[in-house]
Amino acid sequence: MALLISAPLKALVQRFSFLFLILAAFGIMLLSKTETLVVEKFSTVVVDVFSPIMDVISKPAATINHAARTFQELANLREDNIRLKRENERLLLWQETAKRLKSENKILQSLLQFTPTPKRQFITARVIADSGGAFVRSIIVNTGKRNGVRKGQAAVTGVGLAGRVVAVGHRSARVLLVTDINSRVPVLVETTRDRAILSGDNSSMPRLTFLPTNSTAKAGHRIVTSGHGGVFPAGLQVGFIVDGSNGIMRVKPNVSFQKLEYIRLVDSAVIAPFESRSSVKGLPKKAAQQ
Amino acid sequence: MTPRLLHHVDAIARVLVPALLGIVLVIVSTIPFHIPWFGPVTPNFVLIAIFFWGVHRIYFFSNITVFFIGLLLDILVGTPPGLNAIVLVLVRNIAVSQAKVFRGKPFLVLWLGFGLISFVTGAVIWALNAIYHMTLVDPLPIVFQMAMTFTVFPLLAWLFARTQRKLFQQT
Repeated sequence: MALLISAPLKALVQRFSFLFLILAAFGIMLLSKTETLVVEKFSTVVVDVFSPIMDVISKPAATINHAARTFQELANLREDNIRLKRENERLLLWQETAKRLKSENKILQSLLQFTPTPKRQFITARVIADSGGAFVRSIIVNTGKRNGVRKGQAAVTGVGLAGRVVAVGHRSARVLLVTDINSRVPVLVETTRDRAILSGDNSSMPRLTFLPTNSTAKAGHRIVTSGHGGVFPAGLQVGFIVDGSNGIMRVKPNVSFQKLEYIRLVDSAVIAPFESRSSVKGLPKKAAQQ
Repeated sequence: MTPRLLHHVDAIARVLVPALLGIVLVIVSTIPFHIPWFGPVTPNFVLIAIFFWGVHRIYFFSNITVFFIGLLLDILVGTPPGLNAIVLVLVRNIAVSQAKVFRGKPFLVLWLGFGLISFVTGAVIWALNAIYHMTLVDPLPIVFQMAMTFTVFPLLAWLFARTQRKLFQQT
């Protein structure tokens, strides 16, 4: 008898809950547009709660990736060796030039009484989650407030800019990649010194927008951060220009987003000199060594 | 165990098991695999689960569980919060309402049915994203993602079918 009553009742509850939940979800979506901070705070707490699990689960995946890469590298050992020897010869020549330029630069700087840019401090973080969504390009890293991570820090790898920290939890942080539709980065064309904005559109190559009409920038030119706006440090390598369809200039980022494992979070050069770095003292040894 | 205690354990398990399965699938969706181009086109594992159980055990996932799984997916993946909650609750209810159509039919029918659902889901996700960002987002990534989801459906369906047999052996 109880079963006979409970089944239709259940169906009724389910039907009402359906309408209510759909409306609630729309409400949350709307709320995230208007009350960004509240929703962001809530999301940060949730990510923080799940980050230890994601941290553990992402490790075996990373090990498998390493194994696969080692295998690939072994297969290419001979070609790599030849290529690297050639590259080494070329780089040795560059090293000589660099040494000469460095000393020359030092002399010129002292002549001009130039104030050098302060050395940047950075925090190394491991990527524990990749966005699996089709319309979002962001990652979660395993460092947060307790390691001194702050909102707005630039995320870089050895080859260039990857993105910026958009939300910070106690032990995790979300990095919005430069390819995301919400990403805007003030940049410079290195050779022509033209300012522009690097606008992500979820494709692998972000667009170069607001470039002056008389700019002589063309495919192959390198793009660096301009440091305008104070969010990103100036002079970080971003990528190089490629010609997109319909005459739109696009930038091929130096960073290979699919292979991100560790990233460094850097302060903007504008903020760093004035702010106390006491929060970094709590940095675990492991993170400091990396 | 007394029948009363058993009943309680059963009631708790009925809520916990689907919720845990959902959480696991959400976390799996965020693992960084580092396979070129895999990131943006990670199959939507949760969608498969919701559809499969919606057809085979209509009360396995309740609307409220699905809602929270969707919300968690949004938060961890970074999509607009609420988006996946809408989509998954919709899919669950479509699956439940069409359960009779699919039950007892060959697997191919279920797979094709899922293909249709994933196509519609993709369109809805694309539309919601476009509205949310107020711009026409490129539909290609979602086409790829749904194609991937459709492709891995048999594998996950097989896994879920095994799980179902284990879970509901006694019932």
